[in-house]
Amino acid sequence: MLEQLQEILSNKLKVSPEAITPEATREDIELDSLAVVELSLLLKSELGLDISDDDLLETETVADMVRLMEERSAKV
Amino acid sequence: MAGMDIAVTGLGLVTPGGIGVGPSWAAVCDGRPTAALDPVLANNPVRISSRVPGFDPDTLLSARRAHRLDRFVQFALVAAHEAVADARLDPTTWDGARVGVVLGCADGGPGTVEDQHDVLRERGADQVSPLLLPMQLPNMLAGQTAIEFGATGPNLVVATACASGATAIGMARDLLALGRCDVVLAGGSEAMITPLVMAGFAQMGALSRREDDPSSASRPFDADRDGFVAGEGAGILVMERVVDARARGAHIHGRIIGFGATADAHHMTSPHPDGAGIEAAVRAALADAGADPDDVQHVNAHGTSTPLNDLAEARMIKRTLQGDPLVTSTKGVTGHLLGAAGAVEAAFALLSVEHEIVPPTAGLRIPDGRIDIKLAQSATCMPIDLALSNSCGFGGQNTALAIAPA
Repeated sequence: MLEQLQEILSNKLKVSPEAITPEATREDIELDSLAVVELSLLLKSELGLDISDDDLLETETVADMVRLMEERSAKV
Repeated sequence: MAGMDIAVTGLGLVTPGGIGVGPSWAAVCDGRPTAALDPVLANNPVRISSRVPGFDPDTLLSARRAHRLDRFVQFALVAAHEAVADARLDPTTWDGARVGVVLGCADGGPGTVEDQHDVLRERGADQVSPLLLPMQLPNMLAGQTAIEFGATGPNLVVATACASGATAIGMARDLLALGRCDVVLAGGSEAMITPLVMAGFAQMGALSRREDDPSSASRPFDADRDGFVAGEGAGILVMERVVDARARGAHIHGRIIGFGATADAHHMTSPHPDGAGIEAAVRAALADAGADPDDVQHVNAHGTSTPLNDLAEARMIKRTLQGDPLVTSTKGVTGHLLGAAGAVEAAFALLSVEHEIVPPTAGLRIPDGRIDIKLAQSATCMPIDLALSNSCGFGGQNTALAIAPA
Protein backbone atom coordinates (compact mmCIF):
# COMPACT_ATOMS: atom_id res chain seq x y z
CA MET A 1 0.00 0.00 0.00
CA LEU A 2 2.86 2.41 0.76
CA GLU A 3 4.15 1.97 -2.77
CA GLN A 4 0.71 2.59 -4.24
CA LEU A 5 0.25 5.75 -2.20
CA GLN A 6 3.74 6.93 -3.14
CA GLU A 7 2.96 6.36 -6.79
CA ILE A 8 -0.28 8.34 -6.67
CA LEU A 9 1.32 11.18 -4.72
CA SER A 10 4.32 11.45 -7.00
CA ASN A 11 2.79 10.66 -10.40
CA LYS A 12 -0.58 12.35 -10.05
CA LEU A 13 -0.07 15.10 -7.49
CA LYS A 14 3.58 15.68 -8.43
CA VAL A 15 4.84 15.47 -4.86
CA SER A 16 8.62 15.09 -4.80
CA PRO A 17 9.19 11.28 -4.47
CA GLU A 18 12.00 11.59 -1.93
CA ALA A 19 9.72 13.54 0.41
CA ILE A 20 7.17 10.71 0.64
CA THR A 21 8.45 8.73 3.61
CA PRO A 22 6.27 6.93 6.18
CA GLU A 23 7.16 9.58 8.76
CA ALA A 24 6.34 12.52 6.48
CA THR A 25 3.44 14.69 7.64
CA ARG A 26 0.83 16.19 5.34
CA GLU A 27 2.65 19.48 5.69
CA ASP A 28 5.96 17.85 4.71
CA ILE A 29 4.45 16.67 1.44
CA GLU A 30 2.45 19.88 0.89
CA LEU A 31 -1.00 18.33 1.11
CA ASP A 32 -3.30 21.24 1.83
CA SER A 33 -7.07 20.84 2.00
CA LEU A 34 -7.42 21.00 -1.81
CA ALA A 35 -4.76 18.35 -2.37
CA VAL A 36 -6.44 16.12 0.21
CA VAL A 37 -9.65 16.23 -1.83
CA GLU A 38 -7.63 15.39 -4.94
CA LEU A 39 -6.05 12.44 -3.10
CA SER A 40 -9.45 11.20 -1.96
CA LEU A 41 -10.71 11.24 -5.57
CA LEU A 42 -7.59 9.45 -6.79
CA LEU A 43 -7.78 6.73 -4.13
CA LYS A 44 -11.30 6.03 -5.40
CA SER A 45 -10.54 6.16 -9.12
CA GLU A 46 -7.14 4.43 -9.00
CA LEU A 47 -7.59 1.89 -6.18
CA GLY A 48 -11.36 1.75 -5.61
CA LEU A 49 -10.98 2.88 -1.99
CA ASP A 50 -13.67 5.01 -0.34
CA ILE A 51 -11.71 7.37 1.89
CA SER A 52 -13.16 10.84 2.31
CA ASP A 53 -11.12 14.00 2.55
CA ASP A 54 -12.32 14.35 6.15
CA ASP A 55 -10.90 10.88 6.91
CA LEU A 56 -7.60 11.87 5.35
CA LEU A 57 -7.49 15.11 7.31
CA GLU A 58 -7.56 13.08 10.54
CA THR A 59 -4.30 11.37 9.61
CA GLU A 60 -0.98 12.83 10.69
CA THR A 61 1.56 11.04 8.54
CA VAL A 62 1.96 9.00 5.38
CA ALA A 63 2.11 5.86 7.56
CA ASP A 64 -1.28 6.81 9.03
CA MET A 65 -2.71 7.16 5.53
CA VAL A 66 -1.36 3.76 4.56
CA ARG A 67 -2.96 2.20 7.69
CA LEU A 68 -6.28 3.79 6.75
CA MET A 69 -5.96 2.49 3.19
CA GLU A 70 -5.24 -1.02 4.50
CA GLU A 71 -8.27 -0.91 6.80
CA ARG A 72 -10.60 0.22 4.02
CA SER A 73 -9.06 -2.24 1.61
CA ALA A 74 -9.79 -5.10 4.01
CA LYS A 75 -13.47 -4.07 4.02
CA VAL A 76 -13.73 -4.00 0.22
CA MET B 1 0.28 62.66 -13.10
CA ALA B 2 1.71 64.44 -16.15
CA GLY B 3 5.47 64.40 -16.16
CA MET B 4 5.78 61.42 -13.79
CA ASP B 5 8.41 59.14 -15.29
CA ILE B 6 8.15 55.47 -14.55
CA ALA B 7 11.09 53.22 -15.35
CA VAL B 8 11.00 49.69 -16.64
CA THR B 9 13.93 47.91 -15.03
CA GLY B 10 13.01 44.30 -15.70
CA LEU B 11 11.54 42.44 -18.68
CA GLY B 12 10.28 38.88 -18.96
CA LEU B 13 8.71 37.27 -22.01
CA VAL B 14 7.17 33.94 -22.92
CA THR B 15 5.96 34.15 -26.52
CA PRO B 16 5.51 31.97 -29.58
CA GLY B 17 8.91 33.34 -30.63
CA GLY B 18 10.51 31.59 -27.66
CA ILE B 19 10.89 31.49 -23.90
CA GLY B 20 12.71 34.58 -22.74
CA VAL B 21 13.35 38.12 -23.94
CA GLY B 22 16.30 37.07 -26.13
CA PRO B 23 14.52 34.48 -28.30
CA SER B 24 11.30 36.50 -28.45
CA TRP B 25 13.04 39.70 -29.54
CA ALA B 26 15.18 37.82 -32.08
CA ALA B 27 12.06 36.24 -33.59
CA VAL B 28 10.31 39.59 -34.13
CA CYS B 29 13.45 41.32 -35.41
CA ASP B 30 13.97 38.45 -37.85
CA GLY B 31 10.31 38.63 -38.89
CA ARG B 32 10.03 34.88 -38.32
CA PRO B 33 6.35 33.78 -38.30
CA THR B 34 5.31 31.18 -35.73
CA ALA B 35 1.82 30.20 -36.89
CA ALA B 36 1.31 26.52 -37.70
CA LEU B 37 -1.40 23.89 -37.82
CA ASP B 38 -2.25 22.89 -34.24
CA PRO B 39 -3.10 19.22 -33.45
CA VAL B 40 -5.23 20.31 -30.45
CA LEU B 41 -7.53 22.04 -32.95
CA ALA B 42 -7.75 19.07 -35.31
CA ASN B 43 -11.56 18.98 -35.12
CA ASN B 44 -12.03 22.75 -35.18
CA PRO B 45 -13.22 24.89 -38.08
CA VAL B 46 -9.90 26.79 -37.88
CA ARG B 47 -6.78 24.84 -36.93
CA ILE B 48 -4.05 27.51 -36.99
CA SER B 49 -2.36 28.85 -33.86
CA SER B 50 0.92 30.27 -32.59
CA ARG B 51 2.13 28.20 -29.61
CA VAL B 52 5.00 28.82 -27.21
CA PRO B 53 7.65 26.33 -28.36
CA GLY B 54 9.12 23.86 -25.87
CA PHE B 55 7.23 25.11 -22.83
CA ASP B 56 7.73 22.50 -20.08
CA PRO B 57 6.24 23.86 -16.85
CA ASP B 58 7.58 20.97 -14.75
CA THR B 59 11.12 22.05 -15.63
CA LEU B 60 10.57 25.80 -15.66
CA LEU B 61 8.63 25.74 -12.37
CA SER B 62 8.52 22.85 -9.91
CA ALA B 63 6.31 19.94 -11.02
CA ARG B 64 4.29 20.28 -7.81
CA ARG B 65 3.69 23.99 -8.40
CA ALA B 66 2.92 23.51 -12.09
CA HIS B 67 0.33 20.80 -11.31
CA ARG B 68 -1.76 23.37 -9.44
CA LEU B 69 -1.54 26.21 -11.98
CA ASP B 70 -3.38 26.77 -15.23
CA ARG B 71 -1.19 27.39 -18.25
CA PHE B 72 -1.90 31.15 -18.21
CA VAL B 73 -0.46 31.43 -14.71
CA GLN B 74 2.49 29.18 -15.57
CA PHE B 75 3.42 31.55 -18.41
CA ALA B 76 3.20 34.54 -16.08
CA LEU B 77 5.40 33.03 -13.38
CA VAL B 78 8.10 32.06 -15.85
CA ALA B 79 8.07 35.56 -17.36
CA ALA B 80 7.96 37.20 -13.92
CA HIS B 81 11.02 35.25 -12.74
CA GLU B 82 12.93 36.50 -15.77
CA ALA B 83 11.76 40.07 -15.19
CA VAL B 84 12.62 40.14 -11.48
CA ALA B 85 16.06 38.64 -12.14
CA ASP B 86 16.60 41.15 -14.96
CA ALA B 87 15.74 43.99 -12.57
CA ARG B 88 18.29 42.59 -10.09
CA LEU B 89 15.74 42.71 -7.29
CA ASP B 90 15.74 40.14 -4.50
CA PRO B 91 12.22 39.15 -3.41
CA THR B 92 13.62 37.51 -0.28
CA THR B 93 14.73 40.90 1.03
CA TRP B 94 12.33 43.43 -0.49
CA ASP B 95 9.54 45.11 1.50
CA GLY B 96 6.67 43.07 0.06
CA ALA B 97 4.07 45.53 1.32
CA ARG B 98 5.45 48.10 -1.13
CA VAL B 99 5.38 45.69 -4.08
CA GLY B 100 2.23 45.54 -6.20
CA VAL B 101 1.13 43.13 -8.90
CA VAL B 102 -1.12 44.34 -11.72
CA LEU B 103 -1.66 41.84 -14.51
CA GLY B 104 -4.15 41.48 -17.33
CA CYS B 105 -5.84 38.57 -19.04
CA ALA B 106 -8.93 38.19 -21.16
CA ASP B 107 -10.27 34.83 -20.09
CA GLY B 108 -8.42 33.23 -17.17
CA GLY B 109 -8.02 29.50 -17.56
CA PRO B 110 -10.48 28.12 -20.12
CA GLY B 111 -8.32 25.02 -20.62
CA THR B 112 -8.93 23.95 -17.03
CA VAL B 113 -12.66 24.68 -17.36
CA GLU B 114 -12.95 22.60 -20.53
CA ASP B 115 -11.00 19.68 -19.01
CA GLN B 116 -13.17 19.64 -15.91
CA HIS B 117 -16.35 20.01 -17.92
CA ASP B 118 -15.33 16.77 -19.65
CA VAL B 119 -14.88 15.16 -16.21
CA LEU B 120 -18.33 16.37 -15.15
CA ARG B 121 -20.01 14.91 -18.22
CA GLU B 122 -18.08 11.65 -18.29
CA ARG B 123 -17.57 10.81 -14.61
CA GLY B 124 -19.96 12.97 -12.58
CA ALA B 125 -19.89 16.06 -10.40
CA ASP B 126 -18.26 14.26 -7.47
CA GLN B 127 -15.15 13.67 -9.58
CA VAL B 128 -14.60 17.33 -10.51
CA SER B 129 -11.23 18.62 -9.28
CA PRO B 130 -11.14 20.83 -6.20
CA LEU B 131 -8.55 22.83 -8.13
CA LEU B 132 -11.06 23.86 -10.82
CA LEU B 133 -11.82 27.26 -9.35
CA PRO B 134 -8.41 28.19 -7.94
CA MET B 135 -6.79 27.26 -11.23
CA GLN B 136 -9.10 29.06 -13.64
CA LEU B 137 -10.16 32.25 -11.86
CA PRO B 138 -8.68 35.24 -13.71
CA ASN B 139 -7.53 36.92 -10.48
CA MET B 140 -5.25 33.95 -9.75
CA LEU B 141 -2.87 35.49 -12.27
CA ALA B 142 -1.95 38.22 -9.81
CA GLY B 143 -2.71 36.17 -6.70
CA GLN B 144 -0.30 33.38 -7.57
CA THR B 145 2.34 35.87 -8.68
CA ALA B 146 2.10 37.54 -5.29
CA ILE B 147 2.52 34.17 -3.57
CA GLU B 148 5.54 33.38 -5.73
CA PHE B 149 7.32 36.64 -4.92
CA GLY B 150 5.99 37.63 -1.50
CA ALA B 151 4.35 40.75 -2.92
CA THR B 152 1.74 41.86 -0.39
CA GLY B 153 0.90 45.28 -1.84
CA PRO B 154 -2.03 46.08 -4.16
CA ASN B 155 -2.94 43.02 -6.22
CA LEU B 156 -5.14 43.40 -9.28
CA VAL B 157 -6.17 41.66 -12.45
CA VAL B 158 -7.41 43.86 -15.26
CA ALA B 159 -9.79 42.53 -17.90
CA THR B 160 -10.08 44.76 -20.96
CA ALA B 161 -9.97 41.86 -23.43
CA CYS B 162 -7.07 42.29 -25.86
CA ALA B 163 -6.00 45.54 -24.22
CA SER B 164 -5.67 43.88 -20.79
CA GLY B 165 -1.87 43.64 -20.61
CA ALA B 166 -1.43 47.25 -21.68
CA THR B 167 -4.13 48.50 -19.35
CA ALA B 168 -2.39 46.69 -16.48
CA ILE B 169 0.85 48.52 -17.28
CA GLY B 170 -1.05 51.80 -17.28
CA MET B 171 -2.66 51.01 -13.93
CA ALA B 172 0.76 50.11 -12.55
CA ARG B 173 2.05 53.48 -13.71
CA ASP B 174 -0.75 55.15 -11.76
CA LEU B 175 -0.05 53.13 -8.58
CA LEU B 176 3.63 54.13 -8.70
CA ALA B 177 2.90 57.76 -9.50
CA LEU B 178 0.43 57.98 -6.61
CA GLY B 179 3.04 56.52 -4.27
CA ARG B 180 0.96 53.46 -3.39
CA CYS B 181 3.81 51.12 -4.39
CA ASP B 182 7.56 51.33 -4.91
CA VAL B 183 7.75 48.38 -7.31
CA VAL B 184 5.02 46.86 -9.47
CA LEU B 185 5.11 43.67 -11.49
CA ALA B 186 2.86 44.52 -14.43
CA GLY B 187 1.86 42.89 -17.67
CA GLY B 188 -0.37 40.17 -18.99
CA SER B 189 -0.69 36.48 -19.68
CA GLU B 190 -3.01 34.35 -21.76
CA ALA B 191 -3.52 30.67 -22.66
CA MET B 192 -6.75 30.59 -24.64
CA ILE B 193 -5.89 28.22 -27.48
CA THR B 194 -8.49 25.63 -26.51
CA PRO B 195 -11.03 23.90 -28.74
CA LEU B 196 -14.02 25.75 -27.27
CA VAL B 197 -12.51 29.23 -27.27
CA MET B 198 -11.11 28.79 -30.76
CA ALA B 199 -14.47 27.54 -32.02
CA GLY B 200 -16.00 30.72 -30.64
CA PHE B 201 -13.44 32.95 -32.36
CA ALA B 202 -13.95 31.00 -35.60
CA GLN B 203 -17.72 31.41 -35.44
CA MET B 204 -17.22 35.17 -35.09
CA GLY B 205 -15.23 35.16 -38.30
CA ALA B 206 -12.28 36.67 -36.44
CA LEU B 207 -9.63 34.08 -37.37
CA SER B 208 -7.53 33.69 -40.48
CA ARG B 209 -8.49 30.59 -42.44
CA ARG B 210 -5.33 30.47 -44.51
CA GLU B 211 -4.72 26.79 -43.78
CA ASP B 212 -2.93 26.26 -47.09
CA ASP B 213 -0.15 28.55 -45.84
CA PRO B 214 -0.48 28.89 -42.06
CA SER B 215 2.89 30.56 -41.50
CA SER B 216 1.70 33.59 -43.49
CA ALA B 217 -1.80 33.62 -42.01
CA SER B 218 -1.14 36.66 -39.80
CA ARG B 219 -0.78 39.56 -42.28
CA PRO B 220 -1.20 42.89 -40.46
CA PHE B 221 -2.17 45.77 -42.77
CA ASP B 222 -1.90 43.51 -45.85
CA ALA B 223 -4.43 43.73 -48.66
CA ASP B 224 -5.15 39.98 -48.28
CA ARG B 225 -5.44 39.84 -44.50
CA ASP B 226 -8.36 37.67 -43.44
CA GLY B 227 -8.24 37.54 -39.64
CA PHE B 228 -5.93 36.99 -36.70
CA VAL B 229 -3.97 33.96 -35.55
CA ALA B 230 -4.40 33.20 -31.85
CA GLY B 231 -1.19 33.12 -29.86
CA GLU B 232 -0.34 32.48 -26.21
CA GLY B 233 2.23 33.64 -23.70
CA ALA B 234 3.06 36.37 -21.21
CA GLY B 235 4.89 39.63 -20.86
CA ILE B 236 5.88 40.97 -17.44
CA LEU B 237 7.55 44.29 -16.65
CA VAL B 238 9.19 45.37 -13.42
CA MET B 239 8.25 49.02 -12.99
CA GLU B 240 9.45 51.57 -10.48
CA ARG B 241 9.82 55.33 -10.27
CA VAL B 242 12.79 56.59 -12.27
CA VAL B 243 14.20 58.36 -9.22
CA ASP B 244 14.19 55.08 -7.25
CA ALA B 245 15.65 53.07 -10.12
CA ARG B 246 18.47 55.56 -10.58
CA ALA B 247 19.13 55.68 -6.83
CA ARG B 248 19.74 51.94 -6.71
CA GLY B 249 21.79 51.98 -9.93
CA ALA B 250 19.35 49.82 -11.87
CA HIS B 251 19.53 49.39 -15.61
CA ILE B 252 16.55 51.17 -17.18
CA HIS B 253 15.25 49.65 -20.41
CA GLY B 254 13.01 52.62 -21.03
CA ARG B 255 10.30 54.73 -19.45
CA ILE B 256 6.52 54.56 -19.53
CA ILE B 257 5.78 58.27 -19.73
CA GLY B 258 2.12 58.25 -20.69
CA PHE B 259 -1.04 56.16 -20.40
CA GLY B 260 -4.42 56.64 -22.02
CA ALA B 261 -7.49 54.42 -21.70
CA THR B 262 -10.84 54.92 -23.40
CA ALA B 263 -13.95 53.11 -24.58
CA ASP B 264 -15.49 53.22 -28.06
CA ALA B 265 -18.99 52.72 -26.62
CA HIS B 266 -19.89 51.56 -30.11
CA HIS B 267 -20.18 47.77 -30.68
CA MET B 268 -19.39 44.54 -28.82
CA THR B 269 -16.68 43.43 -31.26
CA SER B 270 -16.19 45.93 -34.10
CA PRO B 271 -13.93 48.92 -33.46
CA HIS B 272 -15.30 52.36 -34.16
CA PRO B 273 -14.79 52.54 -37.94
CA ASP B 274 -12.68 55.68 -37.95
CA GLY B 275 -10.69 54.68 -34.85
CA ALA B 276 -12.17 57.42 -32.66
CA GLY B 277 -11.73 55.41 -29.46
CA ILE B 278 -8.11 54.49 -29.97
CA GLU B 279 -7.42 58.08 -31.12
CA ALA B 280 -8.76 59.35 -27.82
CA ALA B 281 -6.55 56.86 -25.95
CA VAL B 282 -3.50 57.98 -27.95
CA ARG B 283 -4.24 61.63 -27.31
CA ALA B 284 -4.71 60.94 -23.60
CA ALA B 285 -1.41 59.03 -23.39
CA LEU B 286 0.43 61.85 -25.16
CA ALA B 287 -1.18 64.48 -22.93
CA ASP B 288 -0.13 62.42 -19.91
CA ALA B 289 3.40 62.37 -21.32
CA GLY B 290 3.35 66.10 -22.02
CA ALA B 291 4.14 65.26 -25.65
CA ASP B 292 2.84 66.44 -29.00
CA PRO B 293 1.24 63.92 -31.41
CA ASP B 294 3.73 64.96 -34.10
CA ASP B 295 6.62 63.89 -31.86
CA VAL B 296 5.78 60.16 -32.14
CA GLN B 297 8.45 58.38 -34.19
CA HIS B 298 7.40 54.76 -33.86
CA VAL B 299 4.12 52.90 -33.26
CA ASN B 300 3.87 49.27 -32.25
CA ALA B 301 0.33 48.98 -33.57
CA HIS B 302 -2.41 46.72 -32.31
CA GLY B 303 -2.46 45.53 -35.96
CA THR B 304 -4.36 42.28 -35.56
CA SER B 305 -4.54 41.31 -39.26
CA THR B 306 -8.33 41.58 -39.17
CA PRO B 307 -9.91 43.67 -41.94
CA LEU B 308 -11.72 46.10 -39.64
CA ASN B 309 -9.17 46.73 -36.90
CA ASP B 310 -6.22 47.40 -39.18
CA LEU B 311 -8.12 49.85 -41.36
CA ALA B 312 -9.55 51.77 -38.41
CA GLU B 313 -6.19 51.93 -36.64
CA ALA B 314 -4.31 52.97 -39.78
CA ARG B 315 -6.80 55.77 -40.44
CA MET B 316 -6.38 56.91 -36.87
CA ILE B 317 -2.58 56.94 -37.12
CA LYS B 318 -2.66 58.89 -40.40
CA ARG B 319 -5.10 61.42 -39.02
CA THR B 320 -3.60 61.85 -35.56
CA LEU B 321 0.16 61.41 -35.81
CA GLN B 322 1.33 63.91 -38.41
CA GLY B 323 5.00 63.14 -37.83
CA ASP B 324 4.72 60.07 -40.10
CA PRO B 325 5.93 57.51 -37.53
CA LEU B 326 7.30 54.14 -38.57
CA VAL B 327 4.60 51.59 -37.75
CA THR B 328 4.96 47.87 -37.17
CA SER B 329 2.75 45.07 -35.95
CA THR B 330 4.65 42.25 -34.31
CA LYS B 331 1.57 40.03 -34.57
CA GLY B 332 2.85 38.87 -37.95
CA VAL B 333 5.41 36.92 -35.91
CA THR B 334 3.68 36.12 -32.64
CA GLY B 335 0.05 35.95 -33.64
CA HIS B 336 -2.40 37.70 -31.34
CA LEU B 337 -1.64 37.02 -27.68
CA LEU B 338 -5.08 38.37 -26.71
CA GLY B 339 -4.98 39.57 -23.08
CA ALA B 340 -1.18 39.30 -23.07
CA ALA B 341 -0.72 41.14 -26.38
CA GLY B 342 -0.56 44.65 -24.95
CA ALA B 343 2.09 43.72 -22.41
CA VAL B 344 4.24 41.76 -24.84
CA GLU B 345 4.00 44.54 -27.43
CA ALA B 346 4.83 47.23 -24.85
CA ALA B 347 7.94 45.16 -24.07
CA PHE B 348 8.78 45.05 -27.78
CA ALA B 349 8.28 48.82 -28.06
CA LEU B 350 10.61 49.31 -25.07
CA LEU B 351 13.20 47.09 -26.74
CA SER B 352 12.79 49.08 -29.97
CA VAL B 353 13.52 52.29 -28.07
CA GLU B 354 16.42 50.72 -26.15
CA HIS B 355 18.08 49.02 -29.12
CA GLU B 356 16.98 51.52 -31.79
CA ILE B 357 15.45 48.80 -33.98
CA VAL B 358 11.91 48.68 -35.33
CA PRO B 359 10.99 45.07 -36.17
CA PRO B 360 9.43 44.34 -39.57
CA THR B 361 5.71 43.81 -40.05
CA ALA B 362 6.03 40.12 -40.83
CA GLY B 363 3.36 38.79 -43.15
CA LEU B 364 2.92 42.13 -44.89
CA ARG B 365 3.33 41.67 -48.65
CA ILE B 366 1.11 44.19 -50.42
CA PRO B 367 -0.27 46.88 -48.12
CA ASP B 368 -4.00 47.52 -48.31
CA GLY B 369 -4.39 50.41 -50.77
CA ARG B 370 -6.69 52.20 -48.32
CA ILE B 371 -3.92 52.24 -45.71
CA ASP B 372 -1.63 55.25 -46.02
CA ILE B 373 0.88 54.97 -43.18
CA LYS B 374 4.62 54.24 -43.12
CA LEU B 375 4.87 50.52 -42.41
CA ALA B 376 8.13 48.81 -41.44
CA GLN B 377 8.63 46.18 -44.13
CA SER B 378 12.09 45.24 -42.88
CA ALA B 379 13.94 45.63 -39.59
CA THR B 380 14.88 49.31 -39.43
CA CYS B 381 17.58 50.92 -37.30
CA MET B 382 16.56 54.35 -35.99
CA PRO B 383 16.85 56.34 -32.78
CA ILE B 384 13.44 56.74 -31.13
CA ASP B 385 12.66 59.50 -28.63
CA LEU B 386 8.97 58.68 -28.40
CA ALA B 387 7.08 55.46 -29.22
CA LEU B 388 3.50 54.36 -28.81
CA SER B 389 2.13 50.90 -28.11
CA ASN B 390 -1.56 50.65 -29.02
CA SER B 391 -4.04 48.03 -27.84
CA CYS B 392 -7.74 47.52 -28.51
CA GLY B 393 -10.12 44.98 -26.99
CA PHE B 394 -13.51 43.51 -27.76
CA GLY B 395 -16.03 45.62 -25.95
CA GLY B 396 -14.40 48.70 -27.44
CA GLN B 397 -11.72 49.13 -24.78
CA ASN B 398 -8.55 50.92 -25.91
CA THR B 399 -5.20 51.58 -24.28
CA ALA B 400 -2.19 53.52 -25.48
CA LEU B 401 1.18 53.67 -23.74
CA ALA B 402 3.79 56.34 -24.47
CA ILE B 403 7.34 55.05 -24.20
CA ALA B 404 10.64 56.92 -24.08
CA PRO B 405 14.32 55.96 -23.75
CA ALA B 406 16.07 55.74 -20.39
